[in-house]
Amino acid sequence: MSKLFRGFTAILYKEFLMVLRDPFTLFFMIFPPLVEMIAFGYALDTDVKHIATVLLDEDRTTESRQFVTQFENTQTFRIVGEARSVTELAALIRRGKAYVGLQIPPGFTRNLNAGRSAKVQVLIDGSNSSIAASALNTALNVGFRNGLLTLAQKIGLRDLPVEVRPQMLYNPEMRSPNFFLPGVIGIVLQIATTFATAMSLVRERERGTLEQLMVSPLSRWGLMLGKLVPYLAIGMVMGALLFTIMRWVFHVPIAGDVVALMVGTLFYVFCLLSLGLLISTRAQNQMQALQMTMMFILPSVFFSGFIFPRETMPEIFYAISTVLPATYYIELERALVLRGASLGDFWFHLVMLAAMGVALFSLCVLRLRRTIA
Amino acid sequence: MIACDNLTKRFGHFTAVDHVSFAVAKGSIFGFLGPNGSGKSTVIRMLCGLLSPSDGHARIAGFDVAREPAAIKPLIGYMSQKFSLYDELTAHENLNFYGRLYGLRGAALRRRYDELVGLTHLAPYLNRRAALLSGGWRQRLAMACSLIHQPSVLFLDEPTAGIDPVARRELWDLLFEFSSQGMTLFVTTHYMDEAERCSQVGYIHLSKLVVCGEPDDLKQLPVVNPPDTRRIDVTCEHVTVGLQAVRQLPGVRTATVFGQSMHLLVEASLSEDFIRTELARVNIPHADIRPIAPSLEDVFVALTNNRNGET
Repeated sequence: MSKLFRGFTAILYKEFLMVLRDPFTLFFMIFPPLVEMIAFGYALDTDVKHIATVLLDEDRTTESRQFVTQFENTQTFRIVGEARSVTELAALIRRGKAYVGLQIPPGFTRNLNAGRSAKVQVLIDGSNSSIAASALNTALNVGFRNGLLTLAQKIGLRDLPVEVRPQMLYNPEMRSPNFFLPGVIGIVLQIATTFATAMSLVRERERGTLEQLMVSPLSRWGLMLGKLVPYLAIGMVMGALLFTIMRWVFHVPIAGDVVALMVGTLFYVFCLLSLGLLISTRAQNQMQALQMTMMFILPSVFFSGFIFPRETMPEIFYAISTVLPATYYIELERALVLRGASLGDFWFHLVMLAAMGVALFSLCVLRLRRTIA
Repeated sequence: MIACDNLTKRFGHFTAVDHVSFAVAKGSIFGFLGPNGSGKSTVIRMLCGLLSPSDGHARIAGFDVAREPAAIKPLIGYMSQKFSLYDELTAHENLNFYGRLYGLRGAALRRRYDELVGLTHLAPYLNRRAALLSGGWRQRLAMACSLIHQPSVLFLDEPTAGIDPVARRELWDLLFEFSSQGMTLFVTTHYMDEAERCSQVGYIHLSKLVVCGEPDDLKQLPVVNPPDTRRIDVTCEHVTVGLQAVRQLPGVRTATVFGQSMHLLVEASLSEDFIRTELARVNIPHADIRPIAPSLEDVFVALTNNRNGET
């Protein structure tokens, strides 16, 4: 072993033994992230589909039924029941039985056939804005299209004059898990890994074994690297596990190179573990280490682009986002997983992660004073 | 082997170690005594390179502790107050780890390992986790760990605190054996009987080294044996009551309880019969009085009082 990393293999030997010997820490490193991943995966589904809808059909003709079918065919609405009056319709929405009420008044077909405007009323519960917006757009669209088709038929056209054919690239079904899960993996990895190294060194300080290490010829680089590597191995196993869950439990296809994805993950986890070590050079006890770890997790959740797009953030938050490893990792992940980008397209992100990792690691080595007051 | 020259450590405005100078010869057992908070551990921590001195120098085997830590580290062993071991690891793994930490590998590690296991009788406990060892065995394991690299100097910070008397005795037997092999030992302790066994003792009080020397020499110091006085041991019932009584007597300089008896420093003219009569007046009929030589404790009490009197 070179002089710079003196004692590295000894620390490595000990850390591996201790990690395996301490099922408690291992459990808390692996289990909560898996639960978080699965919970996030199901809970962060913002797709608006099959909105509960009640129907009040006062016309009761073939045409009115056809119109209702068109509504249902959008997949946005799902008829969950029928009301007998407008009052009942409104009451059902108020009681939360449905988000949308569709009222087809008597004379719908008569007006339609007579060339008069056939009126349809749609009641929407606006309290949930994303559901309301989706319901509004779809309802207007159905009516608009229906009207246009009727007009077109009247003047003898078979098709609409203008037909927009949108094509979704990379996430054709616009499933929100595809967008969120790579981000969730980034956040979950941060929670699990940062705290592991932060705790491991603080525990040595609390027990006094750190003093024992400092009396020995062990080098600071050797100590820090020996502390980091076992958790890097665990972090990589976890990363692989999380991507497996993403792929086979939530059916998010990985479009890009899996090897590239794992290289990115390696750099990211190295960054986070170094951050944990840096925290541990500051924290006096495990409680402090835990609080400091949490302090670094919140910005990653809010400013990394995990939930809110970075581009629309106020400048200050955007500035914060540029120094978060999570920002670069999540962007890298989305590019590789969803868009099938190659590492060549995103080398900047990789370089940033590597640079942050090396900087954080060097900083914590320099901060770990040979003398412990 | 160890030489301190005006070694000083300040923490802010507080001076924890104030211009301490002493030298320890190779192969000797240096007992370092003093009340809690007097600066004992701070001195050890500076010598081990865990703290850098604010002022002054210290050398171990000729190397400066502040400037040449890399040369010193392989030479010293340190056993802290807490016997810092890895609780999750077995005794075997702890020993192995410390061996590797000092660069021992393969056959060399194996040989040293077997030697220490034989020396400390740890064999039956090797596969037990450190957390499950009793105080005495933890201490032995900690000691074996701090010796694995065959240090020339071993620092022990209160190695016998909280250890049963038998284990204490055995530890000291080991220390003598190491010392006879040429190892220099630096031991802090609160026990006077341990101090008596050291080849050299230093007493630190309020951050200053009050005295340093061989126990027998210290007992001859004039401040310990003021002219026209003698030391006597008074063994009697109700020692605490007796102590109050004799402290009132003219001619009694100091009086301290030692177990079932009291040690008095009295003026030479004070007669033993007079003390007996005075004790009888407080219902202590039989007092056994005999002359004694000063103990180390007497030395430290005298020196502390003397110093307090000066300031």
